[in-house]
Amino acid sequence: MAEVELKGVTKIYEENADSRKKKKKNQKGGAPKSSGIKVTDEGVVAVEDFNLDIHDREFIVLVGPSGCGKSTALRMVAGLETITRGQLLIDGKVMNDVEPKDRDIAMVFQNYALYPHMTVRQNMEFPLKLRKLPQNEIDARVNHAAEILGITEYLDRKPKALSGGQRQRVAIGRAIVREPKVLLMDEPLSNLDAKLRNQMRAEIIKLRKKISSTFLYVTHDQTEAMTLGDRIVVMKFGEIQQVGTPQEVFDHPANLFVAGFIGVPMMNFFDGRLDRKADGSYEVVVDGVRFGLSKEKQATLAANKAESQAVTVGVRPEHIVPVTEGAGSLEGTIEVSELMGSSQHLHVSACGKECVIIQPANDAVRMGDRIRFSFSPDTIHVFGSDGRNLENAKE
Amino acid sequence: MDKKGKWYGTTFLTFLCIFWIFPVLCVLWNSFKDKTSINLKPFELPAGRTFVGWENYAQAIDKYGLLKSVGWTVFITVFSVAAILICCSMCGWFITRVRTKWTKFIYALCIFSMVVPFQMVMFTLSLVTNRLHLTTPWGLIVVYLGFGAGLAVFMFTGFVRSIPIEIEEAALIDGCTPVQTFFKVVLPIMKPTYISVGILETMWIWNDFLLPYLVLDIKKYKTISIIIQYMKGSYGSVDMGAIMAALILAVIPVVVFYLSCQKYIIKGVAAGAVKG
Repeated sequence: MAEVELKGVTKIYEENADSRKKKKKNQKGGAPKSSGIKVTDEGVVAVEDFNLDIHDREFIVLVGPSGCGKSTALRMVAGLETITRGQLLIDGKVMNDVEPKDRDIAMVFQNYALYPHMTVRQNMEFPLKLRKLPQNEIDARVNHAAEILGITEYLDRKPKALSGGQRQRVAIGRAIVREPKVLLMDEPLSNLDAKLRNQMRAEIIKLRKKISSTFLYVTHDQTEAMTLGDRIVVMKFGEIQQVGTPQEVFDHPANLFVAGFIGVPMMNFFDGRLDRKADGSYEVVVDGVRFGLSKEKQATLAANKAESQAVTVGVRPEHIVPVTEGAGSLEGTIEVSELMGSSQHLHVSACGKECVIIQPANDAVRMGDRIRFSFSPDTIHVFGSDGRNLENAKE
Repeated sequence: MDKKGKWYGTTFLTFLCIFWIFPVLCVLWNSFKDKTSINLKPFELPAGRTFVGWENYAQAIDKYGLLKSVGWTVFITVFSVAAILICCSMCGWFITRVRTKWTKFIYALCIFSMVVPFQMVMFTLSLVTNRLHLTTPWGLIVVYLGFGAGLAVFMFTGFVRSIPIEIEEAALIDGCTPVQTFFKVVLPIMKPTYISVGILETMWIWNDFLLPYLVLDIKKYKTISIIIQYMKGSYGSVDMGAIMAALILAVIPVVVFYLSCQKYIIKGVAAGAVKG
């Protein structure tokens, strides 16, 4: 129903000179420190040079840790924040200075933002009445949305008489009755408990098939991002780290941050070395143990002209294989063993770091036991000293 | 608290209540007594010859024009409270949502106006209202708006802070203009604060003596509190019967108003104290 383009969108919050000086003093040279706050002479940078093309009816998920600028980006699309630089286009029309009500968008908020003095029906009717639609059409749309979301029986209740999940359904209902071009969702499931969150996630997947809006969804929960999004946008310190399908981002993380952020438990990192041998093939060395790389990885490293260098080797917990033989394997001590039902998470101290290994549940494993493990050539990720995945082409 | 402690507490509070309400009851029964017995035996209940029925009330209304002053008091109170509620709720909303040094300054000014004693400004105020020709009930409404703004803005600001801004943002996205957002969304949510501010301001304006006495052209306009003062007359002649009747008539509306709305006062004052 609508294409959304963000071209070099930047958001800078102006601050007074004193507080800006203080923050600048705390971060040498304007580079973001661990707090992530980037301060320039113009003010605090919340989102920087954000470029994204969202296709018609696509479901895009912005994901990242708190304070990474994902909500700010969403609010700029909604028109709740002004855009400092860059352009926002919806269906080819520049929307930078268009009022939120005239953008043909709807938004679902984390805390539902229902009107407490109105019943569920009045809440859902509100945007339609403001657009002066005929009452029979309003009734039809509200009843249809209520049916889709299963809230027909609550239409005459006030929000305070509903549970968290029901309130969030009403909030979604209020958004979809308008049949907006773009549906924005700002962490809509964060206020719900784990069980309800899973249920509502499934509801959103179903809902998506029933309506023809383009979705822009913000979350800090990577499970939501992986399950809901056609593409996910991983953000950090106001900048896009990677855009891709969930599988692409999981299999080929652009850098150490994405590799660590996507995946539960997070990817294990080891200090190592990339060696380019005389025949042009590559090996990684971790704690003196050599690991070969798959043909595809060899080819991409060669194409990117990767040289021998100190690297960070990343392996996902599910790709680490416990072995019995000593050759070609690393050794560590099991610090903690977490039984997760069908599987077991072993927190192992190895190579001066703690790593996590996922293996089938095994009663024989005891804390303090020594364990040997290895990884297969196609599951190793190699990151350069700048954190970039060496398999990815240089920009 | 044990049973004995509760009993002592109840007894103490009962006596305190009687002690508190006794002067009001005293005024009530004296309003049905003749002038002499009011002066000589003020604590005696009306009976026999001392009971004069509604005579004092009739006298207060006919002789002193009490109804006219009730009319002016109602006029001043209703319009002043309406002006305070509308202007100060908008002001409180604006101050909370638009954070600039100017709005902070206005808020500080409102707080400051609450701590300055009225006696400090009353003579200059009297002079200013004279110069600006505000000596009419309409002018007095403007003056009340100024004096009532401090508390009202303070209470509205406190309440608006407790309203999640996302509700207003949702209204903007749904298609409201800022004015529609205020009247269709914010105002209904602020209802408890409206009621509690309304009650507090009504009681103050209805009972106020000094401000109308200083500002109004007393030859033309008299509020209830002023006319009661006039019943004292000159050369020490005091029409106690009429005064008692007028006092009761003055108190009844505000007591009824308070009793019917008192539950909202607590709601309004407590609103925003905790995250809902």
